[in-house]
Amino acid sequence: MLDLLWNGLVNIAQWKYLLPLFAGTFIGVIGGSLPGVTITMTVIVVLPFTYGLDPLAGLAAMTGVYVGGSTGGLIACCLLGIPGSPSSIATTFDGFPMARNGEPGRAIWLGVWASVWGGLLGALFLVFLTGPLAAIALEFGPWEYFSLFVLAMAMVAGLTESSLLKGLISTAIGLLITVVGHDPIGSVPRFTFGSQFIGGGFPFLPVLIGIFAFAQIMTDLEKLNSPRGQAVESLVGTKLERFSHLKVNLEIFKQPFLLAWSTIVGLIIGILPAIGGSASSVMAYDQAKKFSKTPERFGRGHPEGIIASEASNNANVSGSLMTIMAFGIPGDAVTAVMLGAMTIHGIQSGPLFISQNPDIAYGIYAAYILAHPCMLLICIVLMPLMLRVTSVRMAVLAPVVLVLCVVGAYALNNTMQSVYVLLMFGVVGYVLVKLGFPLAPLILGLILGDQIEINLVRAIMTDANPWLFLTRPISGLLLLAAAASVVLAIWQHWRHQNRLAEEEPDF
Amino acid sequence: MSTGRDGIAGLILLAVSLVLLVKSFQLPSLPIVPVGPGFYPAIVLSLMAAASALLVLQDLMKRRPAAAAGEGDAPRRNYRLVVIAFAIVGAYVVLLPLVGFRVATVLFVGALQAALDRPRTARQWGVLAAIALGTAMASYFVFERYLLVLLPRGAWTGF
Repeated sequence: MLDLLWNGLVNIAQWKYLLPLFAGTFIGVIGGSLPGVTITMTVIVVLPFTYGLDPLAGLAAMTGVYVGGSTGGLIACCLLGIPGSPSSIATTFDGFPMARNGEPGRAIWLGVWASVWGGLLGALFLVFLTGPLAAIALEFGPWEYFSLFVLAMAMVAGLTESSLLKGLISTAIGLLITVVGHDPIGSVPRFTFGSQFIGGGFPFLPVLIGIFAFAQIMTDLEKLNSPRGQAVESLVGTKLERFSHLKVNLEIFKQPFLLAWSTIVGLIIGILPAIGGSASSVMAYDQAKKFSKTPERFGRGHPEGIIASEASNNANVSGSLMTIMAFGIPGDAVTAVMLGAMTIHGIQSGPLFISQNPDIAYGIYAAYILAHPCMLLICIVLMPLMLRVTSVRMAVLAPVVLVLCVVGAYALNNTMQSVYVLLMFGVVGYVLVKLGFPLAPLILGLILGDQIEINLVRAIMTDANPWLFLTRPISGLLLLAAAASVVLAIWQHWRHQNRLAEEEPDF
Repeated sequence: MSTGRDGIAGLILLAVSLVLLVKSFQLPSLPIVPVGPGFYPAIVLSLMAAASALLVLQDLMKRRPAAAAGEGDAPRRNYRLVVIAFAIVGAYVVLLPLVGFRVATVLFVGALQAALDRPRTARQWGVLAAIALGTAMASYFVFERYLLVLLPRGAWTGF
């Protein structure tokens, strides 16, 4: 295994891979530091550039974006008090107060170094645990796969902030989109209404780009020219105070438990499908506060808060990569785009991915590891530029991002049809967001839809007994966990409603 | 009891799922496969119909305050800008196959920038034009020349 990893590192160190990795990391850091531009959006912007590259170079660039974006978000947190990307949300709680107290340099570099160490610790798990997880997944039959996918969707639908019902409907919409077109077994056209346009089904990436990018950009545009939106206390343009990198690192390593536990929290959240970095950042922050000897200092510029949030959101990347490489399920929207890019290049993700494509698998590990020193170098050299980049106007960003979305959709198969799908689902995504439907379950449904159907039909074709889904131990356990996650979500929702009712006096 | 936003959304989704559910039952079955092509969509649509019906019910049961107290604190949303932005993107998508990527992109980037933040001085107009031209030229150069990704040609312009 270590031989393969070494080969992967040597491979990625070649210019043809190192350059896309470096460029991806740079774009990720910049994208992450721009408030309103998420890592998903940045990876969508980078996607069309990867079509012309070889698969590993494209995936290296995307891995770079993911790592860079997870760190870049902290700059806006510390200087503007708003997260550059959702995955850095908890960094704001202590990063901004610390910067306001006259230590913006310490706040930013504590975050950068915690990201590096959290990410590299996460790499250890990524390298050594993905293989065993894939080996477990190899034992799965169609029953277990079906149940695993059901569990993934139940968890995501249940974890949505708005309502379980909306999460379930969103999942069903995602699954429904995959049903349109020819059925995977007998090629019978379904719900095409005789139209040539949707005869072949909806292409995955234009739907994903449309739903995510448009929903986000248009929601950002709503706030443009709003006086409230502009009344943000900003430290952009502030010069960083003199500080020592050694001191910052000592400050991190003085608390090895905090670093390790935040990394593990980020990793676990990353492994769970489609939950994302924001949850890991907040959860690690919460854990750090609970375990801290000085919890009262949290929220006032406490270094522990920054370390926990940043170490966990970078470790979260490694967890997401593990899920996609071992099970073929995206850990979040960024890995969903990566999954789409792999499909374009004819690479099948899943438990056989590592054994069938060792060069690419170990190349991804190596790209993930090397992205961290790249990110550090970019931060050291380009920090003055990044301190200014947070002030780029949305009026400039939005058109450029939308052009790249259109190119990304068009270049898939050089037809305008994908662009029409992009626009159509852009409107759908925006309307769903305005109606309060979460997008994460929809995306997961969209990604897993085909696989769920294939595994369901395959299981029934192998043995028509439907009880096998429950009586096969792993499949039964997974379905039980899915049911438990739905029950838990209902209970949490009910408790939340009761609390609200208690807090609100009935006039 | 009155229907709110969730109720209307639930009703629309319920109607869509029921129509498609009927369609899924009409799909032909295959002799070699024990379950037909409509089997899986029927499961998904039944789930969607049930959840939509529950959403309508939940919305009907919801207590609605006479006047939302916190409404004044919510940031003002500029929906006009969103409609304009969607219209400009729509025009861009229509223009792409007619005038080609380069011309359409210059027009699109320029128009959307002007709509989002209207330039007031000659210098600001100059910056807007430079960004529009720069985006079109840079993306054309990177994709067509460097990455060998073909971009749309215009039926009217020929390039």
